[in-house]
Amino acid sequence: MRNKLITMQEAIAKYTWDGMTYAHGGALPVGSDSIAFGREMVRQGRKNLNLISNCNTQQSNLLAAVGAVDRIEVGFSGLEVYGFANGLRRAVESGKTIIEDYSNGAMPLRLLGGAMNWPFVPATICIGNDQQWCCADRPDEYPSKTKIPEITDPFTGKKYGAFSVLKPDVAAIHVTMADIYGNAIMLGTEWSRYELSRAAKKVVLQADFIVDTDCMRQYPNLVRIPGEIVDAVVYAPMGVWPACSVGVYDSDEEHMFEMNNAFKTPEGTEAYVKKYVLGYNSREEYLAMIGKEKIEKLCNNPTTHLMDPYRKWIKSEAEIKELEGR
Amino acid sequence: MDYTKQEYMAIATGRELRDGELAIFGVGLSMLAGYFAQKNHAPNLRAFTEGGVFGSTPVGGLPWGIECNRISANATSFTNAIDALGCLVASGRCDVGIIGAAQIDKFGNVNTTGIWEQPPWQAGKYVLPKVRLNGSGGANEIAVGCKRYLIMAAHEKKRFVEKVDYISSPGYINGGNDREKYNFPGGGPSAIITTLGILRPDPVTKEFYLDSYFAYSSIEEIKENTGWDLKISPNVSVVPEPTEEELRNLREVDTTGSLRKK
Repeated sequence: MRNKLITMQEAIAKYTWDGMTYAHGGALPVGSDSIAFGREMVRQGRKNLNLISNCNTQQSNLLAAVGAVDRIEVGFSGLEVYGFANGLRRAVESGKTIIEDYSNGAMPLRLLGGAMNWPFVPATICIGNDQQWCCADRPDEYPSKTKIPEITDPFTGKKYGAFSVLKPDVAAIHVTMADIYGNAIMLGTEWSRYELSRAAKKVVLQADFIVDTDCMRQYPNLVRIPGEIVDAVVYAPMGVWPACSVGVYDSDEEHMFEMNNAFKTPEGTEAYVKKYVLGYNSREEYLAMIGKEKIEKLCNNPTTHLMDPYRKWIKSEAEIKELEGR
Repeated sequence: MDYTKQEYMAIATGRELRDGELAIFGVGLSMLAGYFAQKNHAPNLRAFTEGGVFGSTPVGGLPWGIECNRISANATSFTNAIDALGCLVASGRCDVGIIGAAQIDKFGNVNTTGIWEQPPWQAGKYVLPKVRLNGSGGANEIAVGCKRYLIMAAHEKKRFVEKVDYISSPGYINGGNDREKYNFPGGGPSAIITTLGILRPDPVTKEFYLDSYFAYSSIEEIKENTGWDLKISPNVSVVPEPTEEELRNLREVDTTGSLRKK
């Protein structure tokens, strides 16, 4: 297999474009999303995105806050205990972003359907309620008969819901560690990253660590995303910040609130982008922006033992620089 | 005794969980109620989160999310959403779940999606909400699939309405046997635990009535704070106050004291 390691700037230039159907995550609001990838999309001015988000995260919150999202399909649009997502909320309430609601279980099922190339997925979730009856794409149709149409089970004659399947153009997936070929290990809940990696037409990994392939040969059962289905790998230390990466760093409570508060207004968003999105030009500058002391504090957390088996295979910044773009 | 309304509510919710059950909790209050039960009277409660985090208890305070480090530090298994929400919850296998509500109606339907000036069912179309909320998350799977589930909500008139603006997670829909139309594997909400008392569904009409109230509240206060003509059980009683042992167990779970802020 070929070396797929490229820089974040190259990844966004090559794998994203205006108007694309872009999936991220497939994370939960507080952890494991490819947030640095989203920052770079804003830096390169991507717009008119059709977003596939199992859950909202600070990435979709940011993209919506800057007005880059025309439409989003989502199972959960908040930030869990961190509150409502102000950027996404403002975009939805102003009519800038169309939000099509599903549930947290429906999104992975629809990705699984896309991965399997099924015509639709039958289920009993999201029916008999407004996820089925309200269709943001066709708002005049109430109760909607086309968003989650009723279907008859050919075996029992019972009625269920039929879900459309998802096949994003590109998925940017956060993983804890990857080798240069795209073999990847995720720590913590996988959420819907397995299905997403199979449903998307192109897959870009954003990894906290680049490790030697010997690591994958030692734990092949844990490699749930094999390099065979991956197009590019980006090394992004602290790339989920201010959310958490299980086994590596905690969520940054202070910045989670600061970021979300900024998104309440266009002015706050502009100031945030200037400082925390346009405020760096390299990995080193990105890490300096977060701050050494803060990083040390976030990396000192009760999950670090989860990384212990893998540490000997971690590649250094110098080794990674050497491998990028070769 | 010194306790907050939130603590009374969490303990009353925890008492509804039984030892040995397979249970799913969301973040926040419901997770505290659930882990309180495990510590207090249900040591064999088998709990997991919708992300597929198994065998863990919160470390270092209330988790910020169902996937965060505080709930991942001592897990015995990490799987995924299809497994947790699909194989274990939507399938009908899970005994009990706990969800929250921004708005709730007399048939136990829950809205967590938005507040409308004119709700879609009234407008006959899907108009923009006045206030966008969080959407259903995994609560829809819990509402559809769990054998029974509990709803926790602050008891205020604006939240307890005749008919919710938007059903994010179905209770008994229009009442009676309405759930049967959709072949849901789960049985529906068995109780609404509020900051003032406990409501339960009528076995036939499925309309929620007042079953019991907290020691500091009253039937009058609860009726005043409910947006429909709330029926009162002929056997209405006072929910036993938290015992010292219960409070101690709850506070061991709620290490950062999130429920003690008044």
